[in-house]
Amino acid sequence: MAKTRKILHLDLDAFFCSVAEQLDPTIKGKAVVVGAKPSERGAVASASYPARSYGIRSGMPMGQALRLCPELIITRPDVRVCVERSQAVMQILLDIAPYVEPASIDEAFADVTILRDPIEQIAHGIQQRVNTELDLPCSLGGATSRLLAKIANGVGKAQQPKDKPPNTIAIVPPGTEKQYLADLPVGKLCGVGSRTARALEELGISTIGQLAASSKSLLSARFGKPGRDMWYHANAIDPSPVLPLPTLKSAGRQMTFLRDTNDPAELKLTLRRLSGEVGRQVRKAGLRGRTITLTLRWADYSTFSRQMTTRNAIDRDDQIYTAALTLFDKYWIQGELVRLIGIGLSQFEQTAWQWGVWEDQNAWKKAGSLQAVLDKLWDTYGENCIRRASDLDYQPAYYMYEHLRGDEYG
Amino acid sequence: MIVSVLQENLAKSLGIVTRAIESSPPLPVLSNVLLETEDSRLKLSATNLEVSITAWIGAKVEQAGSITLPARTFSELVGTLSRERIDMKLDASTHTMEMRCGVQTTNIRGIDADEFPPINHGPEADFHLAGDTLKEMINQTVFAAATEMNRPILTGVYVKLEDTTLTMAAADGYRLAVRTSEMANSFDEKQDMVIPARTMNEVARICGDDMEVGVCLPKERNAITFTAPNVVITSQALDGRFPDFAAIIPRSFATTTMLYTSDLLAVCRRAEIFARDNANSSTMVVRPADNPGEPADVMIVGKSAERGDTEGAAQATAEGEPLDISFNIKYLIDVLNVIKEERVIFQSNGPENPGVLKPEEREDFVHVIMPMSK
Repeated sequence: MAKTRKILHLDLDAFFCSVAEQLDPTIKGKAVVVGAKPSERGAVASASYPARSYGIRSGMPMGQALRLCPELIITRPDVRVCVERSQAVMQILLDIAPYVEPASIDEAFADVTILRDPIEQIAHGIQQRVNTELDLPCSLGGATSRLLAKIANGVGKAQQPKDKPPNTIAIVPPGTEKQYLADLPVGKLCGVGSRTARALEELGISTIGQLAASSKSLLSARFGKPGRDMWYHANAIDPSPVLPLPTLKSAGRQMTFLRDTNDPAELKLTLRRLSGEVGRQVRKAGLRGRTITLTLRWADYSTFSRQMTTRNAIDRDDQIYTAALTLFDKYWIQGELVRLIGIGLSQFEQTAWQWGVWEDQNAWKKAGSLQAVLDKLWDTYGENCIRRASDLDYQPAYYMYEHLRGDEYG
Repeated sequence: MIVSVLQENLAKSLGIVTRAIESSPPLPVLSNVLLETEDSRLKLSATNLEVSITAWIGAKVEQAGSITLPARTFSELVGTLSRERIDMKLDASTHTMEMRCGVQTTNIRGIDADEFPPINHGPEADFHLAGDTLKEMINQTVFAAATEMNRPILTGVYVKLEDTTLTMAAADGYRLAVRTSEMANSFDEKQDMVIPARTMNEVARICGDDMEVGVCLPKERNAITFTAPNVVITSQALDGRFPDFAAIIPRSFATTTMLYTSDLLAVCRRAEIFARDNANSSTMVVRPADNPGEPADVMIVGKSAERGDTEGAAQATAEGEPLDISFNIKYLIDVLNVIKEERVIFQSNGPENPGVLKPEEREDFVHVIMPMSK
């Protein structure tokens, strides 16, 4: 039999609010929400525990929240600080756990099976470090699977008083999983929303225990594959592993011009700048890609995207630019106004380089050494220490500038 | 139009001409086969405006005429008819061809022959070539042509006529195949053009062992015509200049290996099973023997990070420097597949230099493969 797993689920309590309180200690302990003002048709992104005691929940329209608590303090999230703090939390997890999978900015799974200490002790160690080093409250759930760890965390938090962050730990001992789940409502299972819960209710199923005792084939017939998974989950069967950060599938950059442009020089300079940034990103990750994607958004907001695949996986700025330019020259209609331009590189491979019959091997090697030297200079002295002359007096007006990664691209 | 033909002949020639038809052509009539009576023959033509193929079969012509019939329906029907005489009778007013064969009576609606684009197969042949030689020349070059459209000119086969030599060459940018053949007559003026690989494949299909094929490549038309008995193929040439390739073929080598074609092919095929995960990259290891004439160690290694690896020894003799060179193993397999000679010579100047293969004791075929490196 496989070794009993030890999985932890960590959740930062009212994360955005906790960070806001750190930035402005005067609001600590008060009813605070993070989000946009009601005049901006905002919704509650995160509510502090005192705010929650008024019945305010995240996702609630700001106007409604204000009606529930007229003295509510509304702050805007400082995303940059939040990302920094989140990364610091993930780093603590990585210090302790061999496998860490960030699930969102304020949530992560960790597999600590190979650690000797009891799971409870490991959870305490993590919580203590997050509390003291980062001054952030956090709750952990521990069990033999991701599913149970997350459910336990939710149940543990719900059992705490509502007026302050729970900062709690809930562990399901091995062997008691089915028992633990049996009396919980089906809605606690991930993937069972209110509609599915109602459909299950019609079948006379309201607790996870009842779901576990029902027929798997019936559930498959009624709900398809999710129905089958539901049954497995209800029976506390969840072998899904904790996966470290998903590997980069693609890299991309895009820019929206402040004013739509049809100036080929401006478009090509932007293209080269984007190529350089994509190149830098993939080289830092030690990757080379074969598929180049060009995205153009026209003045009427319609978006156009074309790809080409090269024989060899590339990572050099000039190679990416050459490919991007090939696509651009092929698909940009002269004179057409462009609102946004973007480049992506994907299909990463670590294969040998296929030399071309008409390829200049010396030039290829020189370009490789040049790129290596440039990377080193940029790493040491910053991205602006050496630039192309043609970029010097080029101050493009970009409205929005986006880094794209993973599945976000195309 | 009233005409009778044998099912066998009609099915065979339809199989040849319909290869010119592209799927969903811009004009409906291009999905059709043109049927015309010509003396006591039935002439069938099809075209995609780039390649045109015409074939003739013997027929009993009672009344001359012409029509175009939808190729798909027509071929599918003829293919299933019994091996008997097919009597065809056209109702010109409705463009409907009535076909009777054995128990089957069929009416196929066509399009007026006047709507079919004129097919011009060009003048007399410039030279004639044995069918099997032409077929071999095509087969030894066409596979090296590019299939990707990055450089359109490389999707063709370069054909050159100069002095007494006919040259065919193809390169996809990573490999190059050059095949020559000596002609009986000499040509004062150099003629060359690049013919789509697709056309060359069709030409190879119609080339038989005991036939002469006429070739006509008038520069002013920018088209080539191949004339075999009862079949003519005309194709537009590709626009553009084929890149210079003579300089790519090395003249001297640091390592020369003599191997057995089918033995090497078998070893390469095994390496390919594992090389697939690694862009087909396989390594050839050559260790010449201390004394000339003694067997050398030649290994082909295929590796997959996930699935494992394989190493096979090929029978060989070698001279010169030891060599470790990596290739896309598919390229090696492709060329070994078109070499009929028992032995091949493999030569190179090092791991970042091209590998050169040729059949032993033949100077008319040379194949260059660029290596892969980390």
